Amino acid sequence: MWYPARMGPGGNVRIDVERSIMQSADEAAAAIRALLSERKIYALNLISSPGSGKTTLIEALLSRFEGKGGIAVVEGDIETEIDAERIRKHGVQVRQINTRSSCHIQPSRLLSVLREMDLSATRLLLVENVGNLVCPAEVPLGEDARVVLLSVTEGDEKPLKYPLVFKTSGLLVITKTDLLPYVTFDVDRVRRAARAANPAVEIFEVSATTGAGMSALLDRIEALRATKNG
Amino acid sequence: MHELGVASEILDVALAEAGRHAAKKVTSIRLRVGVLRAIEPENLSFLFEHLARGTPAEGALLEIEEEPVRVECEACGVSEAPSFTVECPRCKGTGVLLTGGDSLSILSLDVDA
Repeated sequence: MWYPARMGPGGNVRIDVERSIMQSADEAAAAIRALLSERKIYALNLISSPGSGKTTLIEALLSRFEGKGGIAVVEGDIETEIDAERIRKHGVQVRQINTRSSCHIQPSRLLSVLREMDLSATRLLLVENVGNLVCPAEVPLGEDARVVLLSVTEGDEKPLKYPLVFKTSGLLVITKTDLLPYVTFDVDRVRRAARAANPAVEIFEVSATTGAGMSALLDRIEALRATKNG
Repeated sequence: MHELGVASEILDVALAEAGRHAAKKVTSIRLRVGVLRAIEPENLSFLFEHLARGTPAEGALLEIEEEPVRVECEACGVSEAPSFTVECPRCKGTGVLLTGGDSLSILSLDVDA
């Protein structure tokens, strides 16, 4: 494509570009979306601060649907295979992406990992992004939905401080609710801010320790998955 | 440090465009960045300067145009806010819908032909 050029001040030439800075990432994300659509795989991109419960949620899903098969997991971390090893114990297909200098999973990286995996029986793909609320929010991975997790120990101002991730996530999971008696965390404040960022957000309150709220969340994820592949 | 990936992408686009127009040097790059992107302009410029060393975009200036959030208030209509908000900046009402504020685009380049 040829863009129009015109003379600017000082005899320089101005080139009109008007393109997204994320274009190459967006192209890789589109390729992932096509791959998932062709194979009828429902994909969730899990995003949160470190230690909010992403891996625990994945383990809960694996325990719930154990034996049913059909779940594949991609773990993203700056370093180590620790999370992948934790997931591998559940006997599912898992790949670890070590992002090194990058604070999020790059779609091009995810695409090449997915191409190496055997996804013939996969119905649900869980991608655990690198733990932080900033960069993963900016980079779509071709997922069907984003899940943002927020633990009650992190504070209730997070949707105000990191609005983009809350704006772009279809599900908000408030985790570690068994600790609410010990921390200052206004659940309604989080709900209000999350709804302002995304009026369609579905909000869940869970505790993996007591099990409270978990089955409603797991049911919902299962129902979402079924919308794509029955 | 999430500005590093953004800076690297800007450089790639600038060099590709400059090459396509047979430009010798990129002197400035105009960007539109939404306030929800959490991009620190100084950090972005600092990282870009490093990455651009030894390329035709060395020394190019990043001109950043901030895109505000558009606030649609049930009570008083459309206004703009300089950052994420849960209330209308005018009437303080909480029945608001936010749009925009998430741009991340290269608008144009100035080059020496």
